[in-house]
Amino acid sequence: MDNNNYQLSLKTSEGYVRKNLVLSSGWLVGPVAAGATDFSNALVISLMFALITAPSVILCRFISTRLSYAVRVPIYAIVAALLYAPALLLTNKLLGASATDAVGVFLPVLVVNPLILSKTQTRFVHDPPLRMLRVLLGYIVGFAAVCILLGALRDALVNFSIGWLPLSPPFQVPALETAFGGFLLIGFLAATFRAGYAGLARLAKVRETAERKK
Amino acid sequence: MTEIITASLVAILLQNSVFERALGINVLIYSARDMKKTAVFALVITAASSLGAVGAFFLRQHFGTEKYYSIFQPLLFIIIVSVLYMASLFTIWRVSPSLFKRIRPYAHLSVFNCAVIGAMFLAPRLTDTWYAAAAYGFGTGVGFLFAGFMLRIAYSRLHSELVPKAFRGFPISMLYIGCVSLALYAFIGYSTTI
Repeated sequence: MDNNNYQLSLKTSEGYVRKNLVLSSGWLVGPVAAGATDFSNALVISLMFALITAPSVILCRFISTRLSYAVRVPIYAIVAALLYAPALLLTNKLLGASATDAVGVFLPVLVVNPLILSKTQTRFVHDPPLRMLRVLLGYIVGFAAVCILLGALRDALVNFSIGWLPLSPPFQVPALETAFGGFLLIGFLAATFRAGYAGLARLAKVRETAERKK
Repeated sequence: MTEIITASLVAILLQNSVFERALGINVLIYSARDMKKTAVFALVITAASSLGAVGAFFLRQHFGTEKYYSIFQPLLFIIIVSVLYMASLFTIWRVSPSLFKRIRPYAHLSVFNCAVIGAMFLAPRLTDTWYAAAAYGFGTGVGFLFAGFMLRIAYSRLHSELVPKAFRGFPISMLYIGCVSLALYAFIGYSTTI
């Protein structure tokens, strides 16, 4: 892989690995810690996040950067809020209205997520369109992976099932359903993720040095 | 009066936006380095959530029974918040340009915030009068300040070199917030309404 391609691949993978929204940046912790209490809620949050964020960022890219950010931010939020209605209707159709109702306050708050309000003006407007789409996709996939993983884990340890699939884990941890359970899980997962990523980076460096010596 | 005090205390302690619903955590972590910054964020959040909660209360009273109200609710909330944001920025700019300069970098982060939208969503559902809704919004902001203070006093230890590298900073902050949240849960038991 030549240097340019390597840099591009690093940038496009940043959302799901290096700068994962939940585990590295600490953004959108609320919907994951207190909203994704089971697999179904996690699916609803991930789908709604993708349906609101992707089109919002794409549309907001067309808003002139000559406007002051004090004006741009409310416009970004209004665009996201306008897209909330079709996103909710589609999610209701795909996963059922009862599933979306169960998530409560954590769906409306997705319209003010920092990926739309902050990242669009600091990062996405400066990227070429194709790269922006790839990076954006990385962030969305990274968020969904963490959200669904935590939702499934909590479902398994609290309700003895993952969605519709019954399980029989050796022990039950009912407290994982709560917000503090979510915080603790995110804390441990973020540390594990960071240690794993640092280990891989060290390994890559050792390999690179060895190849250079050859 | 009792209603106002109860609504405020519920929002500060029992339903703290940070510890019970994890709303506004990213802003809290961002501002925790500096108590002054946390106080400015909390002040703006308090103003936005108090006024926003009153707006949301009247919206629910007038349109709450409409079929598509819940679908368009975030849009209506964002319009209210945007008007408040623009009006207050303009007023501060006219009255005190130096204050305007100081709060400008943080204003949008604090106004267009999960804690504010969360307060607007919850206050009309949990209160019966507009002043109780305002008190709930006020309590949300004060609760944010309380959470910010709790994080600030532990900040140097959470970022200390004594903490293993993998846990330092964000992961240990989550564990710390989880422990404080666990302590507050003792007041209400283990039920969460979302």
